[in-house]
Amino acid sequence: MLDMLRQYVSGYVALTNEEFTFLAEKVVVRRFDRKHQLVQAGEVERYMNFVVKGLVRMYFYKGTTEVITTIAKEGELVSSSASFLSGMPSCYYIETLEPSLLLSISREDLDRAYLQSPRIEKLGRLLTTHVVLQKEEWELECIRLDTRDRFLRFVENNSDLLQRVPQKYLASYLNMKPETFSRLKHLLRKKTPVTKTLHR
Amino acid sequence: MTQTSILHRYRAALDKLHHYLGAFAPITKQEFTLLLPYIEIREFDKKVKVIREGEVERYLNIIAQGLARKYLPLKNKEITIQLASEGHLIHSELSFHNRIPSGAIVETIEPTVFFSISYDSLEQLYEQSPKIERLGRLLISELFIKKDSRYFDQLNKSTRERFLEYMRNHPQMVQRVPQKYIASYLNIKPETFSRLKHLVRLKK
Repeated sequence: MLDMLRQYVSGYVALTNEEFTFLAEKVVVRRFDRKHQLVQAGEVERYMNFVVKGLVRMYFYKGTTEVITTIAKEGELVSSSASFLSGMPSCYYIETLEPSLLLSISREDLDRAYLQSPRIEKLGRLLTTHVVLQKEEWELECIRLDTRDRFLRFVENNSDLLQRVPQKYLASYLNMKPETFSRLKHLLRKKTPVTKTLHR
Repeated sequence: MTQTSILHRYRAALDKLHHYLGAFAPITKQEFTLLLPYIEIREFDKKVKVIREGEVERYLNIIAQGLARKYLPLKNKEITIQLASEGHLIHSELSFHNRIPSGAIVETIEPTVFFSISYDSLEQLYEQSPKIERLGRLLISELFIKKDSRYFDQLNKSTRERFLEYMRNHPQMVQRVPQKYIASYLNIKPETFSRLKHLVRLKK
C-alpha cells in the first residue's frame, strides 16, 4: 500500500527513508463501500487522498443535474483541492464508484510535514503545480477539441474506465449527452490500455 | 538604463510586489533584496506577443504595470483564457513547467511592464531557500483556487450571472479591456455581451 504511494511520490521528489516515514506516519488508511460520500458541497475538504484501490468521482449539481469533473482511479490523487487548500467550503461532492481504499492526509498533518522537511515542501509545490497544469490542460483541450475528438482522446487513454464507469457518468465527465456518447461508441474498433490521469 | 535606475523607476511597483509576496510567506526587506537580482524587468508596447505559439515559455511574469491577456488561437477565432492586470501572474503555464512548445499566446493589451523570473532562476532560488519553496507552493495553491473558481463558474453559472459578476467584481477591467476580449473570456457571444450591457450602467 505504502509502496504504491512511495513510488508515486518518487516521481516528483526523491525523499529519504526518514522523510518518507515521517510523511507515512501521518497518513490514514480509509476504506469505503461504493457510493459513499467522502465530501459534500458546503463542507470543508479535510483530506488529500491517494487512491490505492477503487474508483472515485467528483461532481456538482447544476440545477438538478450532476456534472462530473473528475474520475480518479488507482495511483491518482483526489480531493476537493480548492477547498482543501483554501479552507473554504467545497463546491463539489466526492463519492466512491467502487469499494475504495484511500491513503489520506489531513491539511494539519500536511502542514506539519512541510515544516519538517524542505523536500516535503518541494513535493507539495510540485504536486500542487501538477493539479494546476492538469486543470489548464483540460481547459485547453475542451476549447480545442470537439465532442468527437474529446471522446476519442478519452477512450484512447482510458479504455479501462469504459468497463468500470457507468456510461452516463463518462458522458457527463466529457460534457456530452449520454445519447451522443452511445453514438460515438461506434467509432471504436480497438482498445489500447494506456493510463492517463483524469482530473479536470 | 542600468539595473539600478530601472529598480529606482519601479520602486513603488516593487514595494507592491514585496507586499504581495509577503502575504503568502513573510519576507524581510533584506530577503526581498536578495531576490532582486533574479527579477528581470521587461517593458513592452501594447499589442506585443510576449510568448508566441510554438515557443517555449521561459518566464513567469507578474504585471508591474499594464494589462495582458492569454489566448488560444483556433482556426478562425481566438479564445481568451486569461485577463491580467497589475499584481497578477501571467505566463504560458503548461509550456513553462513542462518545457514544451506553448499552445497559448500571451499578448499585451496596454503598454506593459513585467517583473519576470526565468525558469532557471526560479529553480536556482528554490534550491537555495526553503522559504522560497514555501512561497512558490503557496502562490501556486492560490493560483489553483482561482482557476478552480473560474472553471466552476463557467460550468455552473448562466451567461447572465457570469456577466453580472464580472462587471461587479472587475469594474476597472471593463474600462480598460476591449469588450470582445472580455466576452471571449466569459464565453459569451459579442452580440449577447452588448445586449447584457443594458443590465448595468457602466461608470464612465
